[in-house]
Amino acid sequence: MSRLRRFFGTPEAIAGAAILALLIVMALAAPLLFPGDPQAIAGPALLPPFQDWSLPLGTDRLGRDVLAELFHGARTSLAVGLAAAAAALLIGAVVGTLAGFAGGLIDEVLMRITDAFQTVPSFLLALAFVSIVGPSLGVVVAAIALGAWTGPARVARAEVLSIRERDYVAGARVIGMHPLEIAFHEVLPNALPPVLALSSVIVAAAILTEAALSFLGLGDPNRVTWGGMIAEGRTVLRTAPFLSVVPGIALVLTVLGVYLAGEGVVESTAVRRSLS
Amino acid sequence: MSELTISRRGLLAGSALLLASTALPTIGFAQTPKKGGRLILAADSEPRNLNPAIVASNGVFFISSKIVETLAEASFDGKDGPEPRLALSWEGAADGLSVAFKLRDGVKWHDGKPFTSADVAFSALQIWKPLQNLGRTVFKDLEAVDTPDALTAVFKFAKPTPFQLIRNALPALSSVVPKHVYEVGKIEDNPANNAPVGTGPFKFAEYKAGQYYRLTRNDAYWGKDEPYLDEIVYQVLPDRTSAAAALEAEEIQLAAFSAVPLADLDRISKVPGLKVITKGYEGLTYQLVVEINHRRKELADLKVRQAIAHAIDKDFVVKTIFLGYAATATGPVPKNDPQFYTADVPTYPFDVAKANALLDEAGYKRADDGKRFALKLLPAPYFNETKQFGDYLRQALAAVGIDATIVNNDSAAHIKAVYTDHAFDLAVGPPVFRGDPAISTTILVQSGIPDGVPFSNQGGYKNADLDALIVKASETLDTSARTELYKEFQKKVAADLPLINVAEWSFISVARDTVGNIANNPRWAVSNWADTYLES
Repeated sequence: MSRLRRFFGTPEAIAGAAILALLIVMALAAPLLFPGDPQAIAGPALLPPFQDWSLPLGTDRLGRDVLAELFHGARTSLAVGLAAAAAALLIGAVVGTLAGFAGGLIDEVLMRITDAFQTVPSFLLALAFVSIVGPSLGVVVAAIALGAWTGPARVARAEVLSIRERDYVAGARVIGMHPLEIAFHEVLPNALPPVLALSSVIVAAAILTEAALSFLGLGDPNRVTWGGMIAEGRTVLRTAPFLSVVPGIALVLTVLGVYLAGEGVVESTAVRRSLS
Repeated sequence: MSELTISRRGLLAGSALLLASTALPTIGFAQTPKKGGRLILAADSEPRNLNPAIVASNGVFFISSKIVETLAEASFDGKDGPEPRLALSWEGAADGLSVAFKLRDGVKWHDGKPFTSADVAFSALQIWKPLQNLGRTVFKDLEAVDTPDALTAVFKFAKPTPFQLIRNALPALSSVVPKHVYEVGKIEDNPANNAPVGTGPFKFAEYKAGQYYRLTRNDAYWGKDEPYLDEIVYQVLPDRTSAAAALEAEEIQLAAFSAVPLADLDRISKVPGLKVITKGYEGLTYQLVVEINHRRKELADLKVRQAIAHAIDKDFVVKTIFLGYAATATGPVPKNDPQFYTADVPTYPFDVAKANALLDEAGYKRADDGKRFALKLLPAPYFNETKQFGDYLRQALAAVGIDATIVNNDSAAHIKAVYTDHAFDLAVGPPVFRGDPAISTTILVQSGIPDGVPFSNQGGYKNADLDALIVKASETLDTSARTELYKEFQKKVAADLPLINVAEWSFISVARDTVGNIANNPRWAVSNWADTYLES
């Protein structure tokens, strides 16, 4: 409770949380406010915003409702961001815990694999992965997670290295617990907080990567994505700039919101840690 | 803001020519051509192989047609077809077994050697027939080329070949390359494929990957006083949105092949000093086609294909996707073709109710979720318009209960998926009509084409009637009888819908007012530009 109060103590965190809440409401309300396919043709093409109140943000090159696309795009962005971050954290935590707890050869092998992934720019990796496997939502999530799990893995390993020397771990050994049980039952939960602190950065990066992939035409073509909207608006940038600007603003706000809220979480936990 | 950028960049561009070209921006047409100057234009792709005799495609012609010439070129006013280039005249024998060409005298290759009938014979027999993408079909029965003297080439065919077809094929298929350069070694590996040697008004000077191609004036060109330009530079601008900005900044003087997006044309036509030209591509008509995989049992049903045709609003496609720079299609021959087109074919007006009724009749009732069946839709990635039409088609199909999922691929993967692996249900393709259905249109519906031949019937469609008609037309020598057969062909295709023709479009050029003699033949962008000039 006091932690929550501490979280809302900073104005940045409040702003971030507000933006995120708005985004989540948008994503959840999209199918209710704009039922049916958001890519359906709803009116004349290239209608500017604020002209027709049934299409408040205007229409794109084919006459699709920009506001409906924006709402449904929020679903894709959030879904991809959260799923990719969850996958990256999961892989990272498991790999890091195994490497840190097992030590020796297993540590060496796992960490060299981590190094290998870290040396390849994660965006290029995602780009290559999607172009080979073919774009769909699941593949995009996998592609982003593939480049993002190394950070959590390194942090988890470092935490595990210090935790495994603690007395209660030695105690667990003495009572004959299976090493894997110790690793995932005793060590991992305690190593998790600093790993989770990375999540806001990873979610923000995942949302941006997804937008970049869609911008390059490697997103799922059957779903609305903000990156795809920007890319499509780009060809008419001079005549209808709102087509790129509107989803661009949405993207900036989202990433900002995630980042600020994440900062708030880190701040509040840091205060708690220093207090304890 | 943008005004400011333009003038500053214009000054920075600095070249004397560019500055000079801005001085007299309002002079109209009908000028006497000026000599000299460098034309800088946008190129959106960088073909590796620049030999038009092997790769007969517009991307290659755009650059190499200035260097390597054909026997004849398309023309607006040439009676009965093309106007002379390397050949002065051509005549087909009544039995269809030979065509005689009289060649131009005094023509020299860029390396100084004389051009003779031996070069024509070599190009035809060693390159067009065995190696060229289009020549393989048109010249398949070419047996020998007799060269009684240095300026006469007589093509001998094993089977009667319609003279009309050969004549229509000349502008695109008859690029002549020098025998003395190509006779040693393997033709495909010849270095001249990347630095072509020809007889044209311009010589190949240099190519910097990712930057530019440069061509320089051929001082020994056969045309009197031609060419007018000293240099042509193709500035590589792969980003389609940058061409318009480059034109406004006076970094380039010409953007052909619709390098400026259609949506920008309205705005750019109002910029002083720039003109939008829709002429000059009449011989290069692209067709927007829905390719159908007839291996799918639903799509093998004519009623379903008719329903899809009725579900597509062609007027919407022309107005919204092509912004009016296109025409609706009725069949496999475009409306602007003067020889073969017939409007007397079954048509499929936009009618969602009828499409729904046809699908019900075919036995594909809507399930509880409103869907009848699901399809995989592969829009070709080459043009913005084909991709946008893919998005539109998905919506149009949804309206009649067909659930289409779009699969996007890059060019290479698209060609493999559609034409080799047949991993599609519907595809959106942009085939080119090349002035004669036998050159590249009939193969879109003919059966028996091996897997992997791009832009051919890979949908598993087989219609013995239509196949027989295609064979008969390819052997019919009499021009009017042959034309009649192709009219019959159009009716049959429109009735049985092996594919659905939606629209026909061509390209737009945007140029500065100072560029003269633009669009003066139906294949202007891929012609030799000997008479193109810059006002100074």
